[in-house]
Amino acid sequence: MLAKYEFLKILRKKSTLAVMTVSLILTGFLFGLPVMQYQTYNQDGVIKGAEGIAYEKRQYAKLSVSLSDEYVAETIQEVQGLFKNPDNIGNDGNEQFLIGDAYWNKIAPREKLLNLIANTYSNPKDIRGYNDLPDLDIEDGASFYKTMKGKVKTLLNDPSRGLSDKQKEYWGNMADQVDTPLQYGYYGGWEIIISSFELLMFALFAICIVIAPVFSGEYQAGTDAVILSAKYGKTKLITAKTAASLLFGTAAFILHIIVACAPVLIAFGTDGFDLPLQIANTAIPYPFTFLQAVLINIGIIYFVLLAVIGLTLLLSAKMKSPYLVLIILVPILFIPMFLAPNGTAGIYNLTLFLLPYRSAMPEFGKYISYQFGGLVLDALTVRAVLYGFLTIIMLPLAGLGFRRHQVS
Amino acid sequence: MELQLQNLRKQYGRKCAVNNVSADLVPGVYGLLGANGAGKTTLMRMICGVLKPTSGSIRFNGKTMEQLGEKYYARLGYMPQDFGFYPEFTAREFMLYMAAVKGLGKRRAKKRTEALLEMVNLSDAADKKIKTYSGGMKQRLGIAQAELNSPSILILDEPTAGLDPKERVRFRNLISDFAREKIVILSTHIVSDVSSIADTILMMKQGSFLLQEPMSTVTDSIRGKVWEFFVDERAAEKCCREFSVVNLRHENGMVRLRVIEQAAPTKNAKTAEPGLEDLFMFHFGGENQEQGVKEYVGKI
Repeated sequence: MLAKYEFLKILRKKSTLAVMTVSLILTGFLFGLPVMQYQTYNQDGVIKGAEGIAYEKRQYAKLSVSLSDEYVAETIQEVQGLFKNPDNIGNDGNEQFLIGDAYWNKIAPREKLLNLIANTYSNPKDIRGYNDLPDLDIEDGASFYKTMKGKVKTLLNDPSRGLSDKQKEYWGNMADQVDTPLQYGYYGGWEIIISSFELLMFALFAICIVIAPVFSGEYQAGTDAVILSAKYGKTKLITAKTAASLLFGTAAFILHIIVACAPVLIAFGTDGFDLPLQIANTAIPYPFTFLQAVLINIGIIYFVLLAVIGLTLLLSAKMKSPYLVLIILVPILFIPMFLAPNGTAGIYNLTLFLLPYRSAMPEFGKYISYQFGGLVLDALTVRAVLYGFLTIIMLPLAGLGFRRHQVS
Repeated sequence: MELQLQNLRKQYGRKCAVNNVSADLVPGVYGLLGANGAGKTTLMRMICGVLKPTSGSIRFNGKTMEQLGEKYYARLGYMPQDFGFYPEFTAREFMLYMAAVKGLGKRRAKKRTEALLEMVNLSDAADKKIKTYSGGMKQRLGIAQAELNSPSILILDEPTAGLDPKERVRFRNLISDFAREKIVILSTHIVSDVSSIADTILMMKQGSFLLQEPMSTVTDSIRGKVWEFFVDERAAEKCCREFSVVNLRHENGMVRLRVIEQAAPTKNAKTAEPGLEDLFMFHFGGENQEQGVKEYVGKI
């Protein structure tokens, strides 16, 4: 009953409607931008928007294949064959590339796949394209998955990553769990969602704006004395306020996720939900499909949200005005946006990857891990544990802050 | 039923807002009088458990507030001074919300809400948003919420502040209705508000109780010290400087003065029946006298 009233108190405010409307429009716009700005090319020129997406999907229809060693070998040989004909080759002074029908008919429709194959064989620090495929020696077969594992190993042994043997073992074991051969196919929508997750930070902030007055609003309105002197003012009311805040936060979060993902998935389709992440980057060690990866990261962002709600409520219980709460929250949420990691090791980077903004970015291919004695945990797990822990700590502290509030 | 205040003290840095206040309160209406800053609101907040005393304790029927916990708050009704509402709520919603915070069951909450809104004459406006209410309507809603749980202890902090005379009379009647078999502490600096309904007067000055007396005998201490006399306007100015003037009235070119003094201020001065206002001025007049003189001199 009390929670219902507290929920109503949140919903009834005009500012709630205004903030949520702006936030939903902003989220829809930011996630919808790739849809609106989408463009692909063929021989005839640029194809934009829905037409471009449909064209791309038609090209991929022929690429829904299992990336067996044989298929990879055949594909490489095919490209090497194209490079043997001088009429197909262009040169910009630095490198050779295919031109004309050879490019538009044989490369362009599957360039992403060819780049994926080329990069699997490349040095980890280099970014390769299809025009590096002629240099590969595949006389004894493609050995694609052996190369893929070898590349992961090279990455793990890179001294700049500063990984301990335990961490290398952890990532190696995880990468071993990836099912091979990889199934290839279209995954355009999921790729956009995964690369846009950090944009949800605005949604989190909007939720904080709405939640900020839960306790401090009572101080500001002068209702604190009445409710704190009532029977349940220092007990059940706090639980009700917390529950209403979490309920509102959850509902608003779900709404934002729908607004963020629905336009992308409607435009690009859900194709690829069951395909492995490795078809985007073979160095990714997580054995997830695109759908699993998206759901796991949404789950982590939800944990971040819960902790941020906990922090908002704690500040709200301690501050006299909701504005003061927001003044503290803004730098916590947005300053990390301007801090770039300079690697994946060291306290600075490892801390940065745990801050709310960076925690929204999955960083599936960066091998970010944390070692506690003999225990190694990847960034996703640490984020979930950390923000779950912070939520558990901060919600009772917020309640205590309100209970101990002195009316003055 | 007894509410005991034992050596209550509230210190803010060097300033002592409430200083060793003790009292045993039994059912009845207590008029808590004092000048602004005397410590009335601080004392009431401590009684309501929303401000922690620096030292001392509050006991209800022998048990401390901490020992009683929710049971104490269940028997408390509080109407703070200038307390806020939820502007987007209607009066009915606000009452039902407060009923839920006070732990009333659904049925009782509805019943009490309807009865109290009727009692404070807000039934017709019950479904209007509080933001549309006048100051008087908000005050009435304030006392209605305080009475929701039929409290044994009813604390009203300046309930008539900002009300017009008609509203104040209506409010006093409401408080009288609610006060039966309760400990009611009514704080005000409007003396006439308590003189008609209080059983006991608690007077606070600089954080301490100056007196705790039944209403019937509270003015005995100044009997024979209240004087009335006529002077011309020039003499009135002098009198305002020299004496503690309770009242000043122009009548037929003369000024009628009511002063409190140990001895007759002039030869023609006659003693008058002391009232609560005289008592208030007797104790607090000094604090306001300078200001009073300035105002009077400014007028003439």
